Amino acid sequence: MGKGDFLGEFEQVVLLAVAHLKGDGYGMTVRKEIARRTGREVTIGSVYATLSRLEEKGLASSREGEPTPTRGGRARKHFQIEPAGARALQASRGMLDAMWDGAPVEAPERS
Amino acid sequence: MNPPQPPTLPRLILRLLGDPDTRDAQLGDLHEEYAERYAYDPRAARRWYTRQALGSIAPNLGRRASRADRALRSHAAGDGTMTTIWRDLKYALRGARKHPAFTAVVVLTLALGIGANTVIFSAVHGLVLSPFPFPEPDRIVGIGSAHPRLGGDLNFFENLSPLEFVDIRDQTRTLEDVISWDMGNRQITGPEGIPDNVRTGFFWGDPLRTLGMEAHIGRSFGPDELADRDAVMLLSYEFWRDRYGADSTLVGRALIMDEHPHTVVGVLPPGIDIYGMELWTLMSAPPERFDRNRRQFQVMGRIRDGVTLREVNTELAGLAGRTAQEYTSEFEEYEGWVLQAQTWNDVSTQSFRGGVFIVMGAVGFVLLLVCANTANLLLARAQGRRREMAVRTAMGAGRGRLLSQLLTESVTLALLGGILGMALAWIGVEAVDGLLARSGLPVAGRVSVNGPVLAFTAAVAVGAGIIFGLVPAFQTSRTEISETLQSEGKATTSGASRQRLQRGLVGLEVALAFVLLVGGGLLLNSFVRMNAVEPGFQTENVLTMRLTLPRQEYEGQAVPAFFQRLNERLEAVPGVRSVAAGTQFPPMAFSYRRIWHEGADDSEGATLPFSQTTIVSPGYFETLEIPLRVGRTFAVTDEAGSPFVAVLNETAARRFFPGQDPVGRLIQLGSADPEQPSFQVVGVVGDTRNRGLDQDPFPEVFAVHSQIGGIQNQLFVMLRTEVEPSSVLPAVRAAVQELDSDQPVYAIATVEERFAEAAGTRRMTTLFLTLFGVFALALAAVGIYAVVSYTVSERTQEIGLRVALGADGGRVRRLVVRQALMPVVIGAAVGVGLSIPLGMALEQLLFGVSATDPLTLASVATVLVGVAAAASWLPAFRASRLDPVEALRSE
Repeated sequence: MGKGDFLGEFEQVVLLAVAHLKGDGYGMTVRKEIARRTGREVTIGSVYATLSRLEEKGLASSREGEPTPTRGGRARKHFQIEPAGARALQASRGMLDAMWDGAPVEAPERS
Repeated sequence: MNPPQPPTLPRLILRLLGDPDTRDAQLGDLHEEYAERYAYDPRAARRWYTRQALGSIAPNLGRRASRADRALRSHAAGDGTMTTIWRDLKYALRGARKHPAFTAVVVLTLALGIGANTVIFSAVHGLVLSPFPFPEPDRIVGIGSAHPRLGGDLNFFENLSPLEFVDIRDQTRTLEDVISWDMGNRQITGPEGIPDNVRTGFFWGDPLRTLGMEAHIGRSFGPDELADRDAVMLLSYEFWRDRYGADSTLVGRALIMDEHPHTVVGVLPPGIDIYGMELWTLMSAPPERFDRNRRQFQVMGRIRDGVTLREVNTELAGLAGRTAQEYTSEFEEYEGWVLQAQTWNDVSTQSFRGGVFIVMGAVGFVLLLVCANTANLLLARAQGRRREMAVRTAMGAGRGRLLSQLLTESVTLALLGGILGMALAWIGVEAVDGLLARSGLPVAGRVSVNGPVLAFTAAVAVGAGIIFGLVPAFQTSRTEISETLQSEGKATTSGASRQRLQRGLVGLEVALAFVLLVGGGLLLNSFVRMNAVEPGFQTENVLTMRLTLPRQEYEGQAVPAFFQRLNERLEAVPGVRSVAAGTQFPPMAFSYRRIWHEGADDSEGATLPFSQTTIVSPGYFETLEIPLRVGRTFAVTDEAGSPFVAVLNETAARRFFPGQDPVGRLIQLGSADPEQPSFQVVGVVGDTRNRGLDQDPFPEVFAVHSQIGGIQNQLFVMLRTEVEPSSVLPAVRAAVQELDSDQPVYAIATVEERFAEAAGTRRMTTLFLTLFGVFALALAAVGIYAVVSYTVSERTQEIGLRVALGADGGRVRRLVVRQALMPVVIGAAVGVGLSIPLGMALEQLLFGVSATDPLTLASVATVLVGVAAAASWLPAFRASRLDPVEALRSE
């Protein structure tokens, strides 16, 4: 893995959500997973921008589902994490862990 | 229930701007979650959707840009298409930024033209062409009738009798379903026990089957229910939603109507607005039980598949002829009567379609003007770019290359205009919809953005922009490069023809603007004149409302007695000066009768004059402040037992008793009939504009409620207040409740509001035409300014020479302005010619102004020429300030 291939924060968040959803995740469930775990309401557009970038890098892959009437006749696009994606996540985590290890960072309580 | 549609505009924007790879998935996800949220809280769901869609634009654009960038880089080795387009686009955007005024004007006028057209055509589509959601609107017809013996026009409302309906239903072969109904206000008590006054239709036949629709929930009337005329009802979707909160458990339960339980069997689909009926039930009596001349019913039918409207009308004509033969001896009005079907769309939009089509024609003119103006601006700019094009050609750029660059530029400009236009259309349509909902016009349809129309107008306007944007490329290829490069702005062959084209366009713009301004001017003039008409009484501070007493409880004298008691209570309300009741008040006229009067040639039948007949309480004239001219008004001593008395308005007095003293004379309502009471005229009151300000006063006969009021259980109460009228409403409601807690008041409005409503179509048409006129004027001014500016820049040398030879500034200015005004004057002359047919089209809406009002024509011409002169003066002024040395050297 070359320089500059580390995952951005949001990329990690999205990729982890995909991993949590175990191959069944699609835009809406990814969005909800992020909201559920982090309390952040993100837009569908940013989720997809990230997902398609991850797919382009070979870190995730997608397949089309069946179109349904509740979606105005549009198909779902299901995402799953690829081995390279898992490695990239691990690498990012490893890097952060290495940096955190022993760092005297204490956040004061918010009043 | 169908899944709800997410908000249109955000959805369209996302579809337009979304990354093509994942756009559908995004829209699908949003749709899915929207439906979940909608079930929980529709408003919040809409807000959420809008936030999501708009918030998604930036990431989508970013994604598209990075993809385009990569494509660009991968092509960068060769002169790939992407690179070229990218470069052209950059160039186009740079050009747009470099000439901000030009860009803004082109984009804004395109946007306004597209926006206005979409709004108006959407309105026409929603209101006139297909106001109803029926699946096959062309097959649904109303059946109208006209009785020449009664002097009536073709009428579709309260026009047929039950037996006439039976004739049609039983004899028709062209209609597969025929229904008939009567309407009235009924008291409905729902599960929570609060009474409502509800506009109710009483049907023979299955209305939903005739309309070709299914119930929204529940079902339509069943065959047994229809046969037995059971106590069942359908609720309109809107009534069900607004009054019962879309409670689906209502189906199968009973509502109390006039003390009888009626089972709700279903809810109508949304948008079925037929004369505002909220509740549809079955007529309990069979049609055969009614008299043949009890004409207060509407008839509607469904044309058989494959049958034309003309065939229906042929059949109806035959039927009318047979009825006439059979019954004319008994009912004279059948002589020569007419039965005619029209589609329900036409029937229901009659009253305002004229105004709507005028506005539609006007906005078409606006679109033409926008195209002409865009063409003009682009032509003017093309002039300035001839040299640029020639240089590029000289450097080896092919014609295709130049075309593709100019095309990118035009498309960019046009698309900017198109996008802005769509946004304007959206906003405008929402505004018009809101305006109409509050206008009181009898509109059944709703207005929403009409996709095909938007696409059409956008294509026309954008297409015009593109085509005219390409002119410089064609011009360059037609002229010799060296010639262009050497001539540097002097007129060349192509320049001369371009100038002719430009002047022609200016002339066209002026002519179109002229017509629009004349239309707006005539209507505005009419409007002002109409508002200057004296209504004949004090219209300020009069609050009116309607009350309907149920016949079961209030019979005969109980009705006037109730209103007498109500009067006393209401007069005690603080802020109320006086109170009266009446069956109608100006400008609300429903009730007309033939009047027999002493000295009439004919004792009965068709030649007796029509008059409005109004039954009032004694204080009516005093409350409305209608002046007494002769004799007296009603007194409390005019009671049930005393001789019948009547009051006439001046027009009726003049018509019935010309040149005589009407006081003491006798009249009868309807034809002379010894069985019926005669009324002695006791007084004459001033005329009011009893059919609206734009109509002459109509003869009106007043009778007093205490003498014949028992048959009228539905009355308006009028309160003259000393304070703001609506402020007394709560106290008024309380007073009514105290008297009879079951009686709701409804149709609450001030007299002034009623007059404004009566002028609704006129106000709307005036507003639109005036707006279009002003817009057209602005466009024409912009067009003229552009043309003159470029003409001046073209003639810099010549003007410089003139100045050098001693021409003073004033002379130069006059020269430029005079030349600029030539096409304006010609355009105005054409405009005068065009406004004559326009005036004729407007005739119906004009009031106190002739269609060719010279004052209007002259003022429009003055304004237009004045604006044109002003628009050309600025460049003329610049020309006159030219430094001759600079000008001559500018070569």
